[in-house]
Amino acid sequence: MRKNSVAEALPAAPLSENDLLVEQAYEAMTNGEPQADNGGIKNNKPVSKWDKWKENFKRRGWVLAFILPALIYVLIFCYAPMYGILIAFQEYIPGNPIIGSGTEWIGFDNFSTFFSNPNFWDYFTNTFLLCFFGFIVGFPLPILVALLLNSLRKPKVKKGLQILYYAPHFISLVVMVGMLKLIFGSDGLLDQLSIKLGGDVNGLQLFLKPEAFRPLFIFSGNWQDFGWSAIIYLAALSGVDPALHEAAKVDGASRFRRIFSVDLPAIAPTIVMLMILSVGNLMSCGYEKVLLMDPNGILSTSEILSTYVYRFGLGGGNYGLGTAAGLFNSVINVALLVIANFTSKKLANQSMW
Amino acid sequence: MKKIIAGVLAAVLWFAVVISYTVIAMRADGDEDGHEFTVLAVKEETVKDYNTMPVFKALAKETNRDVYWTYNTSAQYTNSPDPVGTNGIDAIYHAGFSNLQLYNYGKSGRIVAIDQYLNYMPNFAEILEKRPDIAEALKSPDGHIYSLPRVEEMGLKAYPNILFVNKAWIKKLIDGNNLPAEVSLTEADLTDGLKLTRNQFKAILQKFNDLDMDGDGSTVNEVPLSFVSNNWQGNESDLVASFGVPENAQHKTVLNGEITFTVESENWFNAVKELNEWCSKKLIRSTAFTQTQDEFLAKGQDGRYGAFYWWEKETVVAKSLQGDYIMMQPLVDDATGKQYVGVSNELEVEKGACVILNACKDKAGLLSYFDKFFEPEYSAQLNYGSIESGAFEKRKEGEKLIPNDDHGAQSADDFRMKNAPYGVVYLTQEVWGNDVEMESRAKLRLERLEAYVKPYTYEGATPIPNLNYTKEELDTLNRYENSLGKNITMWFTNKVTGAAPTISEWKSFLKTNATSIEQVKKVNQAAYDRYVAATQNKENR
Repeated sequence: MRKNSVAEALPAAPLSENDLLVEQAYEAMTNGEPQADNGGIKNNKPVSKWDKWKENFKRRGWVLAFILPALIYVLIFCYAPMYGILIAFQEYIPGNPIIGSGTEWIGFDNFSTFFSNPNFWDYFTNTFLLCFFGFIVGFPLPILVALLLNSLRKPKVKKGLQILYYAPHFISLVVMVGMLKLIFGSDGLLDQLSIKLGGDVNGLQLFLKPEAFRPLFIFSGNWQDFGWSAIIYLAALSGVDPALHEAAKVDGASRFRRIFSVDLPAIAPTIVMLMILSVGNLMSCGYEKVLLMDPNGILSTSEILSTYVYRFGLGGGNYGLGTAAGLFNSVINVALLVIANFTSKKLANQSMW
Repeated sequence: MKKIIAGVLAAVLWFAVVISYTVIAMRADGDEDGHEFTVLAVKEETVKDYNTMPVFKALAKETNRDVYWTYNTSAQYTNSPDPVGTNGIDAIYHAGFSNLQLYNYGKSGRIVAIDQYLNYMPNFAEILEKRPDIAEALKSPDGHIYSLPRVEEMGLKAYPNILFVNKAWIKKLIDGNNLPAEVSLTEADLTDGLKLTRNQFKAILQKFNDLDMDGDGSTVNEVPLSFVSNNWQGNESDLVASFGVPENAQHKTVLNGEITFTVESENWFNAVKELNEWCSKKLIRSTAFTQTQDEFLAKGQDGRYGAFYWWEKETVVAKSLQGDYIMMQPLVDDATGKQYVGVSNELEVEKGACVILNACKDKAGLLSYFDKFFEPEYSAQLNYGSIESGAFEKRKEGEKLIPNDDHGAQSADDFRMKNAPYGVVYLTQEVWGNDVEMESRAKLRLERLEAYVKPYTYEGATPIPNLNYTKEELDTLNRYENSLGKNITMWFTNKVTGAAPTISEWKSFLKTNATSIEQVKKVNQAAYDRYVAATQNKENR
């Protein structure tokens, strides 16, 4: 089991093993103590769980301090700002108190404005399709790459390729879209090439074609991130016991067979976990890249929920409306997460909670 | 171990640098304390520091106010969701607030109702008295005025597009006997004010596309017709208007007192269909719909445009090639024999040029300072640059200010961009006549418009003035207007650059957006009717 854990690949692993030993020793000590105290007399009152916990805390409570920074971070930056959701139910003017005497509560008005927008379904389907196709392409790709990299024989080649694959991750989004425009945009490389080869003088004009938006968006995004996302699978794969591979080899399994029967089952829990997480994020495409690719919004496929929040919420000063749209998006994400978790619990017996 | 110590040391050093830098930066910010007023201006890096501009020094001296200017670039400014919340700021210059923002901030009491301080503002009070239309335009739904206006009435903005054509290329066609059959032109015809029908123009553009006009051996790099779609000037509106529809960049205009959407006219659809053909025949490159203003200007310098729409040819084409281009009259509609241009909704009275924040301790004092901005002498300097910096020609006491357009190596435009703060000014017909002369390029443009563009204004079409909406109307607009504008742009671009549109597609497009169009029209009509009533009543009194 522990072979599969991601943490195993991190340098902290030996420490945790030490910890385990300490714990066993301590466990043995505490178990022995009451008997010694009572001098063989049987005590009817068993050591309660609470007492055990208290004792435990006294001895090793300081370890908890390690999770404090993370806890504080999450509280301050994730939970505390959540009260801002209330803006969705208000006629909000910046500077007004969110809860106070000047607050104008308007119930679900912002939501009804949002849903009655004639383009609401366009935005919704655009968001869904963009993210869904992105998921379909982007989810299996890193797994495939990790499996292939892992089965390379020479570690040097493997390392080299891995660096080559994840390097694009560090290109900033603005530069990335700039590159896209230089290659695929008007007067770009591809257009110049097609003109030189005797094609249309207008070039291909991919940035003017609504149907080209999704492929450009998704493939450029995946090109940038597949190597990076593969790292976590590679980490999981590095925990596979070489003995399993040896045994499979002895049994006459081909390289391909070994990928399917040894590697894949080994990283299956990681895959399921990441799948649940990405389904939970399915409807949350960021607006930055979309806005960079289509700043004027001239493509019918490019307006998604988050760009709507940006354009009409922040840009138009409708903070309430923007928050309502964002909240709607988040609610869908949470629902998807719960569904995904439930399904994987039923089908694969793997779940986050 | 050594490595760890080194790492820790490096981290500590890094923090020390960051912290000391922050402290220094904070101290530098602290300098603005001790001034009587601090005003936040939205200013680009290239514009000089207002604090050093002679015009502001003169203003400070005359009003005896001590104003310190601090800046945000426009990018920073638009990204800051709540500029009004900025501490230590008394006013925002170039605020550019929308109607809704003015109303919201005004209602919450965060910006000052300026009409309460008219006693301290003799110039502004006089303007409001003299010009009921400006007074009306500035009012918020609650009847208060929350911002200072920018008024620059030159009569230029209503017609932001002029069609220029490459005379040298047409001459080449004449010399090479390549003129299309439907066009008969001699060299003598090639002067400003050339009049062609749309089909003749199209035929010429086709030649521009098919032949190697610039003689470099390739027929690819010539651009027959160019413009910047979706831009406030130099767009395709007048090309669309030539089909007999008062088109402008917002696709809405006042037609005989009624708010009208041009997209509803069948002529508009005909224009889209025809433009689609122009695109597919390569007379318009699709880049016209994606390029930015800068890209358009950069490409035009070497004279590869056969024709283009722009504010003036002088910025588009390099100096040496400007003689090659002549101005055309609006294209003649082949079917009716008429010429049409629309009017833009770019207004010469701009709201929201400056707002005073409630945090300001001496509102009357600051407003009396800004009131000076409306005087011709200062307005001119704010608009063109300070007298001391050489923005105007030398003059004797009491003479008119004449903008100086000779700045050596620097172009007049560059000089102005660096030296003029713009913003709150009051330059009307009356001022132009008596106190300040227009820039010579503005005068030239005005002459061009008077001669060849204005006479062909679509009958009954006028710009939509600065309307003031009720809160409810603002909410309705808010709900429908933005997405409607976007939908129209999207449909237009898609249909012009993509597959040819059919009439049923256009009808279903109108149907999808029917509610939005109806609501936006209704709200604007109501506000417009009130505007007309209010301004006429006062004028009659």
